[in-house]
Amino acid sequence: MPIEIPKDKWPGTIHTVTLGATNGEGGTRSKTVTFGGETTMPFLQFEAPVPHKPVVAIEIKDHKPEDWSLLLAEVWGAAMTDPAEWAKAAENAGADIIVLALSVNDENGNPTTPEKAVGTVKKVLGACGLPLIVFGPGQVDLDNELLVPISEATKGERIVLGICEDKNYRTIVATAMANGHLVTARTPMDVNLSKQLNILITDMGMPADRILMDPTTGALGYGIEYGYSVMERLRLAALQGDTMTQFPMIVTPGFEAWKTKEAKVGEGVPGSWGDWKERSINWETLTAVSLIQTGADIVVLRHPESVKRVKYAIEELLMA
Amino acid sequence: MTDHKIVFKQGDNNGEPIAINLPTGTLLSEAAKQAGVEVGQPCGGQGRCGRCVVQVTQGSIRRRSVLRLTSEDVSKGFALACQSVVETDVEILVPAQEKIERRLTTDRSVADVQIPAGYDFSWSQSIRVVHLNLTPPSMEDQTDDWSRLQTAFRIQAGYNRVSCSIFVLKSIGIALRNGNWSVTAIVDVSDQESGIPVKLISLKPGISGEVEPLWSLAIDIGTTTVTVWLVDLTSGEIKARASEYNGQIARGEDVISRIVYAGKESGGEELQIKVVETINKLVVSACKRAGATPDHVYKAVIAGNSTMIHLLLGIPPSSIRFSPFITTINHPPRFTAQELGFNFHPDAVIDCLPGIASYVGADITSGVLSSGMYATDKLTLFLDVGTNGEIVLGNQDWLVGCACSAGPAFEGAGVVDGMRATEGAIEEVWVNSETFEPTIRVIGGGKPKGICGSGLISLLAELFLAGVLDKAGNVNTTLDSPRVREGDRGGEYILAWKNETATGKDITITRVDIDNLLRAKAAIYAGFSVLSEQVGVILEDAEQILIGGSFGKYINVEKAIQIGLLPDVPWERFQFLGNTSVLGTYYALLDSEARQKIKDIASNMTYIELSADNTFYEAFMSAMFLPHTDLNRFPTVKAALNRP
Repeated sequence: MPIEIPKDKWPGTIHTVTLGATNGEGGTRSKTVTFGGETTMPFLQFEAPVPHKPVVAIEIKDHKPEDWSLLLAEVWGAAMTDPAEWAKAAENAGADIIVLALSVNDENGNPTTPEKAVGTVKKVLGACGLPLIVFGPGQVDLDNELLVPISEATKGERIVLGICEDKNYRTIVATAMANGHLVTARTPMDVNLSKQLNILITDMGMPADRILMDPTTGALGYGIEYGYSVMERLRLAALQGDTMTQFPMIVTPGFEAWKTKEAKVGEGVPGSWGDWKERSINWETLTAVSLIQTGADIVVLRHPESVKRVKYAIEELLMA
Repeated sequence: MTDHKIVFKQGDNNGEPIAINLPTGTLLSEAAKQAGVEVGQPCGGQGRCGRCVVQVTQGSIRRRSVLRLTSEDVSKGFALACQSVVETDVEILVPAQEKIERRLTTDRSVADVQIPAGYDFSWSQSIRVVHLNLTPPSMEDQTDDWSRLQTAFRIQAGYNRVSCSIFVLKSIGIALRNGNWSVTAIVDVSDQESGIPVKLISLKPGISGEVEPLWSLAIDIGTTTVTVWLVDLTSGEIKARASEYNGQIARGEDVISRIVYAGKESGGEELQIKVVETINKLVVSACKRAGATPDHVYKAVIAGNSTMIHLLLGIPPSSIRFSPFITTINHPPRFTAQELGFNFHPDAVIDCLPGIASYVGADITSGVLSSGMYATDKLTLFLDVGTNGEIVLGNQDWLVGCACSAGPAFEGAGVVDGMRATEGAIEEVWVNSETFEPTIRVIGGGKPKGICGSGLISLLAELFLAGVLDKAGNVNTTLDSPRVREGDRGGEYILAWKNETATGKDITITRVDIDNLLRAKAAIYAGFSVLSEQVGVILEDAEQILIGGSFGKYINVEKAIQIGLLPDVPWERFQFLGNTSVLGTYYALLDSEARQKIKDIASNMTYIELSADNTFYEAFMSAMFLPHTDLNRFPTVKAALNRP
């Protein structure tokens, strides 16, 4: 007896968003990346085609971070001391997008200046052809001080500026709008808070296809269930027609996974935990792959091996 | 273009009409300006505030907007000067400003309290005055004084059982002899039918033809504000009212922190003393105003949330705080003033009204009574706004209640320049959308000292609609106005400069204040939505919305809707009742039937515990926005935001 699989049809669609601009489009990127556009839940190809597959970004810093795992220092090697080299290495490792996370201080311990930050961004753009996302250091005043000149210096490149939060979004959104960039909006794991920040940004006049939302996640074993379910609810709301949740989602499983004890610590842990390197990469990979299945459009990772495995998982899921 | 003759007459003086000629299509407000006639426009001529209303007595005009005018107003020729243009020669009557304020449809003021119809001291009242003539004792009749008095009560008043305290007992021998065996007794006859003895409160020598004043108190103990009404029991009239912040505030702003404090060593005792002191002080000042003495207060009826009642009685409230949230007592028995430390007559009857649950107390049963919702067939939403917002939905057939913690912001506490709704409080605000300059109305009309609850609601709504605040309540400090600045507590707006205030300091609203207000309004709106969802009715279907609580005597419903505190339903469905809790104690004080009804309400209401699952939290988070994350729930606000 033939079994008919029930199919859901949703009234809502996720916005299709393109990052980066090529020469012809007013930028300097060798390629652009498009994602979003979903009309059903992730990978349910029997209901609707997957218009764009989830993409993988690699996070780099403006100088070699001191608090990153030794495993990451080992795999990136000397490239970590030069953001341009690091970006090139990341491109070679299979990244679709570069995330450049700026630091509060430069490598000499002095506060990061706007000139220095702009210089770093330009070096990264010059070294690789991928679209770029720039995160400020995460302090309100400093973020605004650095992101505005970066935005102006890269006018037309269609980079993403972040991170907008409910108490500090106005300056970042205004400069992104003026210079043709996008923004990412982060809220702490709550459907309503996500929606509210999206409304605030939209109220300023930012077009819908230039907003990414970051609902925040936890690593595997560190609250991923909560993050997963918030993302799932956001995506369901979007598909049901809630216009203020119909934005592609970006999450940072690399950042989350690499701060867990399991990934960070190689000594003095039970032998049953297994090989440190394998465990750490598994932690990052599993966190990312889980989130892709709840609707993440961009996952930001740190280890090249995780990138390879997550991309493989995406291909496998698409073949099913 | 044709010119028209526009004649302005001013309602408040009998001065000469002022005439001016201007072309077709001129705004009346512009014409008034050119003619030198003052027409208030606190909103900056956007047709939002309705303060520029004028009456067209001759000729015709074209109205661009009639927002805020009823169809009856329009038929009488009323128009908004900033939204109406001349089409013919016209004659315009400009009303005096205070008249305008009184006739706006959005304003809701508290009705005056009426003595319950048919109040008769000798019938409705549980406190009675009895005159007794006793046979004096002799060598032959060696009966003791108390037995002799009991006999007199039985024969002359029909009271078979009478009891008294040791305090009264000490006084009877002297009273009987000084009065030459004629005495006047003040007794409490409550619950006689259930076999409780009549209680002798006071015995005075002699029988005076004139009854000396019998005083009583209706008391509401709020977490933040305590209110006392001094009532003449004989006539039922309220002779004085007094309110003050609860002396416990310094030990915690909400019930939870009070409960925590009460759990510390001697904390409970301290809180008990604090609230009794607050009441005693209020009673002294109320008595002074009415020419009474506290010693002649024979009865007090008290309402308050369950924690307040526990603290007043000195009962440890700790179990209220922890799941499953159980009180020690919901229906307290009667006590005497001296047992609790009050300064009234030592044997005065203290009657604490019954509550329902840990977070729906006697203040609500009392409010449900005084609001009349227990007796209507209309679907009614009753809200008591205080530090805890309590909400009851229902009608004569069913009642469902819940409580949510709003915090003290609407009572003016927890806000830098907040104050109670007394003289000097800013009670209403308009903000010009172009200049961002405010216009304020101050209670008493003098220089402002601070902002009260209704002023805060009004300010929040105006700042939001004028674009000073975004939907999350962030102050846009990039605006070109000296009124906005970065302060120590985040972005802030200066409502009054220091040279305009009674305190000599700027009156401001800060980011922290705004967050407190947002939380307060979100908690209340979330309570509405969860309650209506749980019983399966649509919030907007409520036929009447009754609001009690501590907003002072006035609220602007439209502004409360604009910030998302109240549901977006037609304004005429709202009634503002003032302090419904103290009003209920007043009814219970005078009328034993009303007292019985409160008991029935307490037994029949269904209580919904909001912390039982996360639906309240979800509703709360979505209400933490101006007016709400889902703007479609607020169609009139959506329309106002979309107006150019």
